[in-house]
Amino acid sequence: MEKHMTVCPYCGSGCKLNLLVENNKVVGAEPLNGVTNEGELCLKGYYGWDFINDTKILTPRLRHPMIRRKKGAEFEVVSWDEAIKFTASRLAEIKAKHGPDSIMLTGSSRGTGNESNFVMQKLARAVIGTNNVDCCARVCHGPSVSGLMVTLGNGAMSNSMVEIEDSKCILVFGYNAADSHPIVARRIVKAKEKGAQIIVCDPRRIETARIADLWLQLNNGSNMALVNAFANVLINEGLYNKDYVANFSEGFEEYKATVSKYTPEYVESITGLSAEMIREAMRMYAAAPSATILWGMGVTQWGQAVDVVKGLSSLAVLTGNLGRPNVGVGPVRGQNNVQGACDMGALPNVLPGYQSVIDAEARAKFAKAWGVPSLPDKIGMSITDVPHMAEEGKLKAFYCFGEDPAQTEPDLNLVRKAFEKLDLMIVQDIFMTKTAMFADVVLPATSWGEHDGVFSSADRGFQRFTKAVDAKGDVKHDWEIFGLMATALGYPMQYKDTKEIWDELRELCPLYYGATYEKMDGLGYVQWPCTTVESPGTQYLYEGNVFQRDGGKALLFASEWRPPLDKLDAEFPLVLCTVREVGHYSCRSMTGNCTALQTLADEPGYVTINPENAKALGIKDQQLVWVSSRRGKVIARANVTDRTNVGAVYMTYQWWIGACNELTIHHVDPISKTPEYKYSAVKVEAIADQLGAENFVQQEYAKLKGSLSKEGTRTPAYA
Amino acid sequence: MNRFIAVTQSKCIGCRTCEVACVLAHACDPSVEGLSRLTFMPRLTMIKTKEVSAAVTCHHCDDAPCANVCPNGAISYRHNSVQVDQDRCIGCKTCMLACPFGAMNVITVPATRAFAGVQMTVGVKARAHKCDLCVGHDGGPACVSVCPTKALQAVDRADMDLTLRQRQERAAYELAGKAAAL
Repeated sequence: MEKHMTVCPYCGSGCKLNLLVENNKVVGAEPLNGVTNEGELCLKGYYGWDFINDTKILTPRLRHPMIRRKKGAEFEVVSWDEAIKFTASRLAEIKAKHGPDSIMLTGSSRGTGNESNFVMQKLARAVIGTNNVDCCARVCHGPSVSGLMVTLGNGAMSNSMVEIEDSKCILVFGYNAADSHPIVARRIVKAKEKGAQIIVCDPRRIETARIADLWLQLNNGSNMALVNAFANVLINEGLYNKDYVANFSEGFEEYKATVSKYTPEYVESITGLSAEMIREAMRMYAAAPSATILWGMGVTQWGQAVDVVKGLSSLAVLTGNLGRPNVGVGPVRGQNNVQGACDMGALPNVLPGYQSVIDAEARAKFAKAWGVPSLPDKIGMSITDVPHMAEEGKLKAFYCFGEDPAQTEPDLNLVRKAFEKLDLMIVQDIFMTKTAMFADVVLPATSWGEHDGVFSSADRGFQRFTKAVDAKGDVKHDWEIFGLMATALGYPMQYKDTKEIWDELRELCPLYYGATYEKMDGLGYVQWPCTTVESPGTQYLYEGNVFQRDGGKALLFASEWRPPLDKLDAEFPLVLCTVREVGHYSCRSMTGNCTALQTLADEPGYVTINPENAKALGIKDQQLVWVSSRRGKVIARANVTDRTNVGAVYMTYQWWIGACNELTIHHVDPISKTPEYKYSAVKVEAIADQLGAENFVQQEYAKLKGSLSKEGTRTPAYA
Repeated sequence: MNRFIAVTQSKCIGCRTCEVACVLAHACDPSVEGLSRLTFMPRLTMIKTKEVSAAVTCHHCDDAPCANVCPNGAISYRHNSVQVDQDRCIGCKTCMLACPFGAMNVITVPATRAFAGVQMTVGVKARAHKCDLCVGHDGGPACVSVCPTKALQAVDRADMDLTLRQRQERAAYELAGKAAAL
């Protein structure tokens, strides 16, 4: 049996593992003693690898390039030569007719790795000439990046995952570590054992709430009010660190004025929490010798998200919990390489290494290295702009790389209409996805396990992963495909391996210069900034309380609370909040093709509901129910549990039949453009004919699987 | 004293990695490909209530109700644990009723018989289905080895003695502290 060292392709914990291989087939996984996982893995790490083997449980691996010669025509399997020529000529035509900004590309925050993302944005910027590149950070931690950039000067976790267990107080805000990052949850459990106090702010009784010293069960949609009240308590009770604020921050007076109205008593009716509890939480947080704030989608997937991130970072600044070990602010990134896609410049406003596209000097440096006269200087579109830009006719071509927006974006009906409006849709993926069904061109790539590269974990840690098996079928590495496309568009681009790409990146990005492949050998973990070859990297940011803003000070910032957009009424009286479950990941194209994970959880997925609401609606545990909003209607299985708060229901977003994004609202944060997945008004209805409903689920599921399977398993005409 | 799996519910994050490890450790085919919903029957069960997440499994009682009530002598003490002799199990379910922890299940599997060198299915065979502490598997109980938060621990007499000793010492210190305070 062979063993191949890699990094888990699921959450951002960055767990090192070996893939076990027999006869060019992956047969198992075993944990390695990586920096973050220390010899442990979770459910997905242990049992989430057999999708590589093309199990076809959910949807088949793509094996051949395919094109539709005309809109509405059947897919046709073609050679790579033809696929690339066809695509490049269409792209060139659209660029000539409508300009480069009528084309949009995405990065992929998943198994492809950093190098492919770097090459993708190079294709967009240097060859096509647009900053229209974005990745799924937009729909998850985009607000954390935007918010922290403004307040502290760096959008990443300030401290490291390994430090969490030595923090004396952990404030967990809208973050369900047990389901999103089990290996981070493990650090929280260890912190508790070492005597840390745990404060949880979450409407649900999540796993961490069970071990918390204080559980603040706030109302859905009241985050900003609670964070402002926290600041109000810290200031009014004199709990904040006056020296720290005076020496290392700015904006205090304005900040104080904004939060002055948000007394704990004032926010009682908004948050549903007692004033005393809010005070107690801040007394605990402020008294701790070291305190860490961790947050997740419960903070970021709101119409008011960037403001809350800024508010949370201000709490850390007020109490001096930055710039040293075991403290800080921790937006824990969800997808295994969403940090990496951002690091590589798969964002519309920054080149690789967070160098701004509006910085002429940075542009000139990249243009010179890439041998082009200039690079675009206008900030590009974000991924959540796609539906309305397509609708308005401003977006003509969409090159979707390793993502499945027809499953993961809000208000899927809107998304589908947009895709139908496009002149050209290119999907580059390892699986036939719901999004690929809309494509004019499907380009099959190698999967995690079939290629080398570097991932960035949630705490800025670069780690190498290696190939375990040979890819089957007529597929290519993502970076090769982008190279061929660039070449066909008149810009010769050819790399021999990922190291060559990585070294080009290092030369262009001072932040990463010292993170060499050699340093990342084996279990090597290099956290950026790593500016010299001698440097081991940076475990925590802002040493000496020097912030990465002009003037070096942190910004204190508060905003008025805004209620969520969607309105509850007699027809739609419940809040729908979309969440994660531990056994499935993202759009489920990977985990849905893993035998163990699919055995534990399959269609139509659950809607969790409190016993009080369930009883009033005549719904019993495990029954099928209808869930509908002003935008759509889906069937799901009721999970009646008192871990769910009264008045809200929760669904995970990876199901095809119980697709909660048919219901969600397209309302975004004005700055980060992140959708408000956490608040849509819905109703839940009991179904009298359960047997009929079960049949309906099976039929619909089989129909969908069948149609994707038919398209995904087409073979060349000569075969 | 029998060995058993101790569950620390405050460490459990409800991820069910233990359940999959359990099924695979007991499968004829140890690869994940053999898993299916119909045959997925772990010998420990993740239970989540508002206040608790914990894997519930056999305590390997030293005076085990299941063994005491079995009318056919199928349940006995071996390897410092409670084990079932499946050949003797008749599927009467008395053990299921007797177990206060819900840790005993009775299931049926296809029964096979070899005849003239051919394996044939001959109806069903009942099985008292419970934790066997992975006796015979390399590396000890599979659930323990995969648990990412170390919420599961295999405990034997020596481990228990150590725990008792630590608690006794702590109690003694507390007594001493109280004496000093008087």
